[in-house]
Amino acid sequence: METSSSLSFLLTLPLIGVLIAWVMPKAVQRLYAIFGSALILALTVYETSGLLFAKSADLAKTFVVDQKLSWVPEIGFSLSLRLDSVSAWFVVLNTLVALVAFSLRGVWYRKYPRLFTSFGFFLVFALNAAFLSTDLITFYLAYEAVFIPMIFMVGIWGENQKAASVLRFFIMSFLGSILMLVSIFYLVYLNHEASGVYSAQITDLIHFTATQDPVKLCWPFMGFFAAFAIKVPLVPFHGWLKDVYTNAPMPGTIWMSGILSKLGVIGMIRFVLPLFPQTAAMHQGWLVTLAAISIVYAALLAIRSNDGKSLLAYSSISHLGFVMLGIFSLKSNGITAAILLSVGHTLVSALLFFLYHQVEERQAELNLESPHGLAPLYPVLFVSLFVSVLASVSLPGTLNFGGEFLVLLNAYPVSALCTILSGLGVILGAVYMLKFYQQLGLGSDAQKPTSSGVITKDIGAYDLVLVLMLLSVIVYGGLQPAMFLKGN
Amino acid sequence: MIDHLDVMMPWALLSGGILITLLVSVIRVDTKRPAQISAVITLLATLISCLGLLQVPAETVFSGIVEISPLTHFILALFSAIGILFILGGDRYLNKEGLHLSDYYHLLLILILGASALTCSKDLVVTFISLEVMSLPAYTLTGFRRNDSRSNEAAIKYYILGGAIGAVFLLGTSFMFGATGSTNLNTIFTWSQSGHSDMVIFGMGHLLILIAFMFKVAAAPFHFWKPDVYEGAPTPVTGIMATVVTTAAFVTLVRLIHIVDFNNPSWATYAVTVKHVIRWMAALSLIVGSAVIITQKNLKRMLAYSSISHTGYLLLGVLGSLGKGEEIQSVMIYLFGYTLMTSGIFALMSQSEPKADTGIELIDLTGLMKRSPIQTMLWSIFFFSMAGMPFTVGFFTKYFVFMSSIGSGETPLVVLAALCTVVSAYAYMRPIALMVMRDADPTAANWNSGFWSQIVAVAAAAGVVFLGVMPNAMIQYLKGIPLIH
Repeated sequence: METSSSLSFLLTLPLIGVLIAWVMPKAVQRLYAIFGSALILALTVYETSGLLFAKSADLAKTFVVDQKLSWVPEIGFSLSLRLDSVSAWFVVLNTLVALVAFSLRGVWYRKYPRLFTSFGFFLVFALNAAFLSTDLITFYLAYEAVFIPMIFMVGIWGENQKAASVLRFFIMSFLGSILMLVSIFYLVYLNHEASGVYSAQITDLIHFTATQDPVKLCWPFMGFFAAFAIKVPLVPFHGWLKDVYTNAPMPGTIWMSGILSKLGVIGMIRFVLPLFPQTAAMHQGWLVTLAAISIVYAALLAIRSNDGKSLLAYSSISHLGFVMLGIFSLKSNGITAAILLSVGHTLVSALLFFLYHQVEERQAELNLESPHGLAPLYPVLFVSLFVSVLASVSLPGTLNFGGEFLVLLNAYPVSALCTILSGLGVILGAVYMLKFYQQLGLGSDAQKPTSSGVITKDIGAYDLVLVLMLLSVIVYGGLQPAMFLKGN
Repeated sequence: MIDHLDVMMPWALLSGGILITLLVSVIRVDTKRPAQISAVITLLATLISCLGLLQVPAETVFSGIVEISPLTHFILALFSAIGILFILGGDRYLNKEGLHLSDYYHLLLILILGASALTCSKDLVVTFISLEVMSLPAYTLTGFRRNDSRSNEAAIKYYILGGAIGAVFLLGTSFMFGATGSTNLNTIFTWSQSGHSDMVIFGMGHLLILIAFMFKVAAAPFHFWKPDVYEGAPTPVTGIMATVVTTAAFVTLVRLIHIVDFNNPSWATYAVTVKHVIRWMAALSLIVGSAVIITQKNLKRMLAYSSISHTGYLLLGVLGSLGKGEEIQSVMIYLFGYTLMTSGIFALMSQSEPKADTGIELIDLTGLMKRSPIQTMLWSIFFFSMAGMPFTVGFFTKYFVFMSSIGSGETPLVVLAALCTVVSAYAYMRPIALMVMRDADPTAANWNSGFWSQIVAVAAAAGVVFLGVMPNAMIQYLKGIPLIH
């Protein structure tokens, strides 16, 4: 066990980052953001290394850190943080995604750059708080706080119909989270009736719900489920996603698909399943069906997309469908596979959006209706893109392969039909991702744009290092999935 | 009676200050500055003497018709502070609109006196008198923009409806007097602790009184006056009404509801009736407030509907506390948080410089980010707080009312309130979207932050954020001053 104060730095460092952004000159904001997030990443990896690289689950357990800071004792609020082998992955990914998002060049470093950097660091703070929190109220607060920078990020640096899309995003997510809030209040109240103390601690509430009739817990379960199903999203709740992904500035898109969607994943793993194990088992049938529908339906939508960003957005839903399928298998192996797959999805989607942005910077009018033939002009960029596409279609030897395979393996005993349908999703994934690469990279009539202001060089050394770093994690994880499979 | 002068000091100071201000405004008709200074000094003196008396225990004075308690001192201190802030912050606005008359100041002081007297009253007759002392300046101030037909219309509407509702209150009082033989709240409470044959008459009187105050707090279906009055009144006056009048009326409403001993089994049937009335009014206020707010284009009307939906949340807190004394603090915490964010938002609103102030539309906020990032941040903080987002005081205010009404088995209503929160959150996000995402409209109003109004707005925003992160002191303090005994 480590000392109890060692977790707060995961929250305070990003907040310090927010403050420093306001004293840094505007011209060096990108440099500052990259160095700042890299520093936080290094410290986070150092802090979590015991958990991440432990040889066995038992060994990993010795590195679990619990920390409880009193916040509003009058009403039983506390800041309870827990770093275990689940949250360790997400906090590391969180800063990694921030590093990728900060590395992009664009309008956000020309217009209000300080605001952008401080929003970015604030996101890191709020997401870390959400991933580490074991108190439902603080989790809710952090979960909700993520909206604030996100709304502004889309609003200030977004494109096209940004106002409509960000309002839709906000309203849908807020609807889900407020239903969750009422469910939290309801559980806290029932627990107060039974035990006499106000506590939103997940451990206390798990003890309480274990004694309750699962049918009675149906409504609170639905409240939580609504919040996370909208956040992930599962298919009937995905209406907000496409517009806001395509209209958001690229860093915003990377944040949303890479890490905001994982809030739904961790919510399901950390809160829904432990709180309502029997209720979830009662509803398993349609939960698994929804996940399977998400996989296939989103894949079909992706095939029909003619815009790179929306194709990647739909592919994100499809992959997260696998994650949900793994979680709804309600087996610990399935959940572990889901975590493995969500790590893979975060890395791959951050990488794909990052590279797609690089392509966009070089060719203004991109659509997937006709081939662009850009690969010969920018060989390094397109080789990276091709490897990322392969990682996305779960080629054996990448993280996603292990994840999807194990998810399907664990889902089969639950519902053979849904598993077969989902397996179809893997094939459809190959269809749209290869189409994506083919239309961008292949074809014959490519010419370097001559107009000024457009980048004509291949990607630079820094970008390449970043890409290689992400790819090496993906490939290493594909070859050594045991590192991710220590159970939780 | 002179022996109570020590605890009554703030009221004595305020009343004396009103006379001096009135005198000053008569002597120096040509300039408003002396009256303004006199009003500020009066409120400052009141504020300081209130702060000095915050620890004094509750006691009844004037043969039991008035009760002075830490709560009433706190409320008067709050009102004086709001008064000072709005007098200083409204200065530029009044000059700009050509409304700067010295009468403004003593009317404002009388309004504050009436509102604070309302919260001290322990007798229905005193309640009525204080209500009128509060309302008459409110009617006058609403019609203060004499040359604007909307302001005139609003004042007349407010006056007629307010007069009618005063009659309803008196009718209720006479019923209750008929049933109990007293107008003193303590005597009525003692009376209600045993069963009686006059309970129906009493119940009718009680409901009439409650309805009178439901009108004052603009709970649907008695909300029709509010948008017109908000729109017609000069902006600082609207701000004062939204904070001072609402708080005073709500505190009194809570006190008047609890003059019946709901824990007594003989009142069980009546308790169900009262709960039904409040439940339906809360639901209606929430639905009307949050459904209509999204259709509003005028900023002041939008805030009027917002205040109607806040009334709904407050009634949720009242409902949750029925018969359970300690839970009622949720209402006080809500009122305090609401007062804070409303003061800030009206201070910001008085900074606009269009041709006529009725015309502040949402459109006038477009592109504010380009023109003034600081103002955009302030507006956003207040709108986020109104929507109940975390790290603003708005979250905690909602937390308490939701918790207390879930605790009394009102879960369906809380779910409805939660859904209404989402709907109204859309309305609060829309102006933010306009400020941040659009380029400035050439027809949009200019926003010029005056020194004082900016101070008020910044202070309120800092308070909203600070109490959203560190609400401990607020919760502890407000839990320590009971609304009802």
